[in-house]
Amino acid sequence: MRFEVETGEHRRTIDVRSSADGWTVTIDDRTISVDFARAADRWSMLVRRAEGDAPASHEIAVESRGQGQRLVYVDGHAVPVRVFMSGRRRSTPGSASTASGPIAVVAPMPGRVVKVLVKAGDTVAARQGLVVVEAMKMENELRAPRAGTVAEVRVRAGAPVEANVLLVVIT
Amino acid sequence: MHKILIANRGEIAVRVIRACRDLGLGSVAIFSDCDRSARHVRMADEAVAIGGNPPAESYLRIDKIIDAARASGADAVHPGYGFLSENEDFAGACRDAGLTFIGPSPEAVARVGSKTTARMIAVSAGVPVVQGTKAPFGSEVPDNEIATAAEAIGYPILIKAVAGGGGKGMRVVSGREELGSAIRSARSEAESAFGDSSVYLERRLVRPRHVEIQILADQHGTICPFVERECSIQRRHQKVIEESPSPVVDAALRARLADAAVAVAQAAGYTNAGTVEFLLDEEGRFYFLEVNARLQVEHPVTELISGIDLVHWQIRIARGEKLTGLPLESLTPHGHAIECRVYAEDPDLGFMPSPGRILALRAPAGPGIRDDGWVEAGSEVPIFYDSLLSKVIAWGEDRPQAIVRMRRALEEYEIVGVRSSLPFSRWLLARPEFADARFHTGFLDELLQQRAGERFEAPDPSLEEVAAIAACLVEASAFGFSVQEQQDRGGGIDGLFAGNNNHGRATSPERSWKALARREGLRK
Repeated sequence: MRFEVETGEHRRTIDVRSSADGWTVTIDDRTISVDFARAADRWSMLVRRAEGDAPASHEIAVESRGQGQRLVYVDGHAVPVRVFMSGRRRSTPGSASTASGPIAVVAPMPGRVVKVLVKAGDTVAARQGLVVVEAMKMENELRAPRAGTVAEVRVRAGAPVEANVLLVVIT
Repeated sequence: MHKILIANRGEIAVRVIRACRDLGLGSVAIFSDCDRSARHVRMADEAVAIGGNPPAESYLRIDKIIDAARASGADAVHPGYGFLSENEDFAGACRDAGLTFIGPSPEAVARVGSKTTARMIAVSAGVPVVQGTKAPFGSEVPDNEIATAAEAIGYPILIKAVAGGGGKGMRVVSGREELGSAIRSARSEAESAFGDSSVYLERRLVRPRHVEIQILADQHGTICPFVERECSIQRRHQKVIEESPSPVVDAALRARLADAAVAVAQAAGYTNAGTVEFLLDEEGRFYFLEVNARLQVEHPVTELISGIDLVHWQIRIARGEKLTGLPLESLTPHGHAIECRVYAEDPDLGFMPSPGRILALRAPAGPGIRDDGWVEAGSEVPIFYDSLLSKVIAWGEDRPQAIVRMRRALEEYEIVGVRSSLPFSRWLLARPEFADARFHTGFLDELLQQRAGERFEAPDPSLEEVAAIAACLVEASAFGFSVQEQQDRGGGIDGLFAGNNNHGRATSPERSWKALARREGLRK
């Protein structure tokens, strides 16, 4: 099976084939052997990079975030990974910082609006504070993903909000 | 005393239930709707539902908690920390209901609960306080009157809530032009947090350290002080790392701090466990800050270097016992202890809270390590309460060994499913300033400002490749040998995950908000 994998800016093509003693993994042009075994809610991974080497041992846990996005824990350290089967990758939306259309700023979590810092018609700079939402005893300032004009403010101070509720639209 | 109701949740409820077990006492948990199957509920002997999820409908409802105590036949109440722990009305309601409140008397709680009254008590006991205003400024006091008082002290100053705690209602003001907005925001925060918008002013010390003395005071006039804890590593006035002893306090200073703490406790008529907080300036002078009339989050560091179980003694003092069995050398540290708090928040997203389900968890263990937590795989971390998941405490023969063990424990600790502050703690423990104990209460905020949002979980190229391979192998293992079949059924890379070990979380709101927050760049 062949996958396209992204970590940060780095992109790799990885081919995996099951073998007699585990998996044969080809990363771009290098081939290594990997023993990958389930261990309760995690995985135990032995990686032999060269013939005759003692295998490096890693503990793996994986959290799925949908859309091919994974958070892979390697020995407790989280690494964000995007994985697609070769030829099956869907088109991905442009990132917020470069998009020019309207941007919806939504509540990242259920909570209460403490303060609204902008009004319709205001010009805002990138990362300027828009709305303060309180959750888990903490106040969180939601900021503009990019510079623009506030087209709409959908909430007032004091209002309870559910997750993903539209707060502010920036054009 | 036979049965204790624990008027709290989370790790501190678990901690108190353990003390009840040790002493052969029954335990009663209380819970809000979302805490129905939480750890403290399952662990207690009995458990009583007390209402809705917002604290104001459950953990802050004095009437419901007293009813729960009556219904369960409990004869004592332990308040933990936070919630109603420093509320004199709650302590009074327990007394009126014939329940033993495991803490100071309502009168003592009220005396030290007002910061301005506590400062007066310290002055009367001959203990130095930071220069500041004596009487509280109520909501009717105009800003220009406060400005005059501020000029008299000299900028920079601190505005603090009279009823304050946990850094709430506190603002640093470096000049007159900032004063108005700082008063407004401090008052509004204090009003919503404590229902009291009164404030007072204090001179701001230059690079002070925070040291505090744990005390135990019995009802027969004996007060026992312990070795100081240093809690200078703070983020926005919230303690992040605590240790004992302080790396900068010698035996002579320790004795003076302990004397001052005992004098304040005596003057306040204080009983049970409490903490007297001080600021220490660069010349080694100390100033009284406040009294915390409760058990503190960081109490385990004192337990590890003293060998004393503070919760046991809270209970024994409350039932009238004398502080006799205690070792006389409570001011001699036995080794060194450090505590790291583990929060459900994302340090790489401006420390934004990260509620949700824990998918996998492994707490650290081994020589010198204690973990006081409340979550396990499958636990839901609700949005309604403080996001503290656990406290890791490391003990060593000396400070370097305690640091080495803490670093080992933080590496071992794994929390999957919600973001945690662990990457931040690992980074902090590796800083040379921490190893050399070069810090003050503003140190961490300065350091974080310099980083300007740089990631704590620095991408390690060798880990990235392992992660990339692992991600493929998890997919391939789940596909088994019927790849084509799966593809034909439109199983896709995510469809398969929903049926795998991730409880269908791929499409849950908690997951999607985080993905969204990242996409939209909603970071602090």
